[in-house]
Amino acid sequence: MSFGRPVRIGPGETVVRTVCPYGCGIGCGVLAHVKDGRLVKVEPGDFRGTGHICARGLSTPKLVYHPDRLKYPLRRVGGRGEGKWERISWDEALETVAGKLHKIGERHGKSSRAFVSTGVGALANLLTVGFAGASGGTFILPAGLGDSAGPCADQAMYGAFMWFGEDYSNRFDRPPAFCLVWGNNPAETEPFKWRRIREARGRGARLVVIDPRFTTTAAKADEWIPIRPGTDAALALGLMHVILERNLFDAAFLMRHTVAPFLVRADTGAFLREKDIAPTGSDKYMVWDAKTESPASFDSPHRVPAISGSYTVAGFDCRTAFQLLTELIAQYPPRRVSEITGVPAGTIVRLALDYASHRPAAIYRGMGCTRGSFHGDLSFRAINTLAALTGNVRTKAPPAHVYNMGAFFTHGVPSFVTLLQMYEAVAAGKPHPIKALWMTRHNLINQDPNFNRITRELLPKLELVVAVDMFMSTSARYADIVLPVCSHFECDDLIASIGSGSHEFMQLQQKVIEPLYESKSDLEIYAALARKMGIEGFLDKSVKEYLEILLASGHPSMAGITLDRLREGPMPPAPYDAPAYATPSGRIEFYVERLKPFGQELPVYLEPMESPLSPLAKRYPLTFSSTHPKYRLHSMFANVSWIREIDPEPVLNIHPADAEPRGIRDGHLVRVFNDRGEAVLKARVHQGIRPGLVNTGQGWSPEHYAKGTHQALTHETLNPAQAAIYEPNSAFYDTLVEVEPVKEALR
Amino acid sequence: MTQRYGLVIDLERCIGCHTCTMACKVEHGIETGSGIRVETVGGPHPDTPAGTFPDLSMYYLPIPCMHCADPPCREACKAEAIVRREDGIVFVDESKCNGCGECLAACPYGALFYDEDRHAARKCDLCRERLDEGFEPFCAVCCPEEAIRIGDLNDRSGALIRAIKERKGYTLKPERKTGAAVYYLPPLPRRKA
Repeated sequence: MSFGRPVRIGPGETVVRTVCPYGCGIGCGVLAHVKDGRLVKVEPGDFRGTGHICARGLSTPKLVYHPDRLKYPLRRVGGRGEGKWERISWDEALETVAGKLHKIGERHGKSSRAFVSTGVGALANLLTVGFAGASGGTFILPAGLGDSAGPCADQAMYGAFMWFGEDYSNRFDRPPAFCLVWGNNPAETEPFKWRRIREARGRGARLVVIDPRFTTTAAKADEWIPIRPGTDAALALGLMHVILERNLFDAAFLMRHTVAPFLVRADTGAFLREKDIAPTGSDKYMVWDAKTESPASFDSPHRVPAISGSYTVAGFDCRTAFQLLTELIAQYPPRRVSEITGVPAGTIVRLALDYASHRPAAIYRGMGCTRGSFHGDLSFRAINTLAALTGNVRTKAPPAHVYNMGAFFTHGVPSFVTLLQMYEAVAAGKPHPIKALWMTRHNLINQDPNFNRITRELLPKLELVVAVDMFMSTSARYADIVLPVCSHFECDDLIASIGSGSHEFMQLQQKVIEPLYESKSDLEIYAALARKMGIEGFLDKSVKEYLEILLASGHPSMAGITLDRLREGPMPPAPYDAPAYATPSGRIEFYVERLKPFGQELPVYLEPMESPLSPLAKRYPLTFSSTHPKYRLHSMFANVSWIREIDPEPVLNIHPADAEPRGIRDGHLVRVFNDRGEAVLKARVHQGIRPGLVNTGQGWSPEHYAKGTHQALTHETLNPAQAAIYEPNSAFYDTLVEVEPVKEALR
Repeated sequence: MTQRYGLVIDLERCIGCHTCTMACKVEHGIETGSGIRVETVGGPHPDTPAGTFPDLSMYYLPIPCMHCADPPCREACKAEAIVRREDGIVFVDESKCNGCGECLAACPYGALFYDEDRHAARKCDLCRERLDEGFEPFCAVCCPEEAIRIGDLNDRSGALIRAIKERKGYTLKPERKTGAAVYYLPPLPRRKA
């Protein structure tokens, strides 16, 4: 077998190409060295001429053989969270869980049994959704855990989901001549993607980074713009203002690929359809034909649609969508945008000219935008609109693997509750009660917003909590039954390209060692529980059969992809035709009809919910963010000694201008607090953060703080406009706090 | 002329991810410490910048053993446990090391560390076992930015010397006249709009 480069294989070792499938979303191929049934080392696997790995990936053998790995099923014998356990057998554990699930189902309805999981692998995801369906239960859609505002925006505008990706505004048929990294830190969080930016810069592209923190990415940039957190939409509107004023927009692109010329009815806010003006008319969108000075359907031949203007059509007052956008943008001249964003007006003008005068110009958006405001979807929509205004949007759909999920839904489809809906489902029974919570490889209690509400209000209402984990995670600590799941080196899975923007390969996660201790794979666990619950004929096939079923979707993207070929290496999706924009109009919809009831049909700027301009800021004047660190994947790797040697403890990054008046000194303990909770950790006072913002790296658990935890500060407020499009997001960084020094005695 | 192994580390590329640090631990089974550490050139803490907001700068500096032509550590080692090979690789012969720690103090770069488990001084040996079998050092293999390159400093037309000339590569603490074999390519200047 070829590994694409010379690989040193030690005596007695075998090497298998598998994948590091964790939640950074990259999915690096890795070569696993195995000796005498033991994983001895991993190194970068071939990606057709390249390779990638990070410090965490290299440390995975430490995770696999960690002394704290869960070795057998446990039953809680003390109070929840008290940490008192007894060892039980798998049979007894599953019998107990099945019995309780059955009773809870009888009392509160089957859908009161909720399941949640996260995983990049197809099996890791589908088994939980499938099992929730087969048992008549509920699946908790987890994207609202900070990841869903981007897909909200892209679903509305492009008809596409891109988890962390931004292919539409940066992957073109040639390398970008200008790179704008916006609320994104790929040099730390997605180095595989960062390479493309670094290479573009090497070819002469200028790199500008918009971020309130001086990240590694910002340090690599030609210019750093430290924006006020959560005001990204305002900045995008300001850039568009400059571009419109100087006539630098791409009218041809707007006319051909966006809803710019479509007429919008003033009375309803809906696009004018042919049927609105002719009783026998179709659903076709209407434009104003400037040649005949009359309405015409958008696809009628020989028309010359007007891009701007107000028109009266059959008694309806109408404006083109572009006219409405123009009127919105007119409200955001650089001087006003400067007041909102804290970015100097001159910088706004310069950036607008820089972006608009290069083709193609790439924007790499990130979760700083979507987690940075309760209205993070609007931030992305405004940025997407900026890209469309200048024609810097790809006109072909990014290719992706479409695999076959049918085998997991043979026994039914679950009820779905979004992550943020879960709080009310547990607390108040809306939309339906949740009384049992099963978490597979998902550290919900550690990673979800408003930790104290979860532990104090929600947990007491749950009659059964099960954690399926590799470690005694925060979630496992609060569980009634804890089941040991195996690591990704101990089971097979299929890792599809997930639109991360790093690469588009499908890869096989191969079992290279036997499950350690009594741990089991997800398939084994769910299959055994299905038998205990009397669900016949479900999950009765081997893992190999399921992998083959997944591949046999018949979708053109999967042509030529077999298990045997995947064992040899990664496979890109086979090329296929797909509409570029799967929106109702088939165009880029910068005007979104169905968001009219929310006043968000255009990418308007709205202040963050916990804005420093709000009354709340009198008590809590600082914005608090908890960003992705380079040394953890959410809560994973925080327990790996080799990683802790580099990044030993949580710190609060704070600017001297905020630290000094509060008497906060570098390296001393501080208490970060608001009405929801607190976290006590060391202050790191330095210049690399915008005054008014304090920041910590997320993923630490309560045990790592002197007191409290960062998620005790965040909130779970549900954004109804996001819910109307997709799953509402946790706006983790839209959080106000105060910080005060702590006496060292607390340590 | 025989070859002399050297490294070129591109500071424009280095993203401070510590993958090299981890790769060294993995390859050499080092529980605490590493043959290559990554320092932040900027503020007082890792990942913090120099300057005053918003005029800031920061870059990272990976520091392995410099494989000096005239190694101060070898000078300091009374047990003669530090060996310099013909090809320039400087390594610790752990069978001779008595763990006295003199070499740690003597190294101007802080490149040696004491391994509690093995009761010996340890340091980067350029993965000499790998090199001798034709494989690159593991840190160079793993670096996601391909910022670490190994080559022959005696090859005047080789890739290393070309890169050093083109990018004005430099060694650390030249005033110590150690004859360091690790060259750094400085970060590139920022571009104006």
